[in-house]
Amino acid sequence: MKKIVIETAKILSKKQWAPDLNLINLGPFSKAGIIKPGQFVHIKISDTDILFRRAFSVFDTDAKNDSLSILFKVFGRGTSRLAVLPKGAKVNIMGPLGNGFSFPRRKEMAVLAGGGIGLPPLYLLAKEMIERGYDRKRILIFYGGKTRRELIELNRLRGLGPKVICSTDDGSYGLQGFVSDAIRKLISGKSENYRIYACGPNGMLKAIDEMAREFKIPGQLSLEAPMPCGTGICLGCIVPLRAGGYSRVCREGPVYEIGEVLL
Amino acid sequence: MTPDLSVEIAGIRFKNPILTASGTCGYGEELAEFFDLSLLGGIVTKSITAKSREGHPPPRTAETDAGMLNAIGLANVGVDRFIAEKLKFLEKYDTTVIVNVAGATEQEYVDICTRLADCPRANMVELNFSCPNVQRGMTIASNAELAEQTVRQVKKVFPRPVIAKLSPNVTNICEIASACEAGGADALSLINTLVGMAVDIETFRPRLTNNTGGLSGPAIKPVALAMVHKVYKSVKIPIIGIGGISNYKDVVEFLLCGAKAVQIGTALFVQPDAPVQIIKDLKKYLTKLKFGKVDELIGQLRTY
Repeated sequence: MKKIVIETAKILSKKQWAPDLNLINLGPFSKAGIIKPGQFVHIKISDTDILFRRAFSVFDTDAKNDSLSILFKVFGRGTSRLAVLPKGAKVNIMGPLGNGFSFPRRKEMAVLAGGGIGLPPLYLLAKEMIERGYDRKRILIFYGGKTRRELIELNRLRGLGPKVICSTDDGSYGLQGFVSDAIRKLISGKSENYRIYACGPNGMLKAIDEMAREFKIPGQLSLEAPMPCGTGICLGCIVPLRAGGYSRVCREGPVYEIGEVLL
Repeated sequence: MTPDLSVEIAGIRFKNPILTASGTCGYGEELAEFFDLSLLGGIVTKSITAKSREGHPPPRTAETDAGMLNAIGLANVGVDRFIAEKLKFLEKYDTTVIVNVAGATEQEYVDICTRLADCPRANMVELNFSCPNVQRGMTIASNAELAEQTVRQVKKVFPRPVIAKLSPNVTNICEIASACEAGGADALSLINTLVGMAVDIETFRPRLTNNTGGLSGPAIKPVALAMVHKVYKSVKIPIIGIGGISNYKDVVEFLLCGAKAVQIGTALFVQPDAPVQIIKDLKKYLTKLKFGKVDELIGQLRTY
């Protein structure tokens, strides 16, 4: 059986949180049910002159309906186009691609940190952990954005059960400051066995990577990079590794261990 | 009756004229997850150098209008690991394996091809005379004498067919093509990427750390067709067409202009299984035209 498939799907529903912040639900996609948190799909927008696919971390999946949803911010040509596609429009999905997160040990305290549009893999991780029977009290979700406006899908996130700690750079909602500051405050001086998972802007990942190494906390980061092919062939999405050499974000990533990548 | 898609180039029978282009199919491992590589007429590996190379620092690709720029910088595992691991992987597929070779000097081409001479799975070599992203890559590509000399030396050490891959970044591509033919090349493949640039107006920086890169994709197809057509009229050896091919119609255009086979490149990044559909559609097209053989299309362009 093929692990990666290429299938045409439709936009089943869409929700615009702001002109540039979108949630879309896509289906049918036969592999929706086996997508792991942290994996991504590579989407080709049909009938455009935009050459390449665009990579999106999967936000949520529905195995029963063979559907998946993605959250995205309008950034360039591809996302601008995707944002204006109506319900029912066709897109071509390739996936699932890349490696997902490894689940924590039961005794560990899982710290899930999402920055802005980096929320998707962490939402899916929290959801799957709960489905697998992890103790809700052993999961802490940190969700940060520049302003309150960027903290989208907050109710759905809270609905999962674990505690959600919000922060905004401008203090317009939750704690004021960066996600990494909020986490540092929590873990300082505690003797808990933490394991950290993070996805978000590079600055945030760098801060979390440094902090985790300082406190010797294990964990994983999900990286983002422009990906021409998404399958490991083109060698375009590489990142430098601390041990030397490069790694393909689409193939060896997008999930990396803390300290593995030179951020 | 199903039309015969096979073509012969330099004594080698390709089951169909659809090959994958160097640098867009790795060593076949990733593509094999999408379709059976034995369906292909041939596979052209990523450029192999004497020593392994990491390539240029990122960013080394950029999307452009109907195309892409790349300056990967010949990242590859080096000839030793290539023979030990990658060529071995390709053993199990029933397709023609063409090893693309890139040297910084004439001697490096000879050294690599000497190593490959002992590997029967390397059915052919394709000499990358035209990588625009390495310092000395363009010297041989644009110097007829050097190109001829390099082909001649490689022919002495490599017992199977040798293809010279030509650069479009030259004043007169026919001059280089004829020189390679004179040097003993069994076939020519063209075109490699066109030197290009993209600029970020926020940072005032080029979009590639190498500043310039090689342009590929649909944007270069017209240039490639014109060059294939021109070279077809000036040499006797077979031509393999490359440049922006993404469907069977593109393939037919190249065949009509004189290419005996084609290589699919950038399209594989968007649709890794593109060759499967292309082969299927090409068969349908020939059936519709009541052509028994794909050969009947080659060079049949009716110019004004």
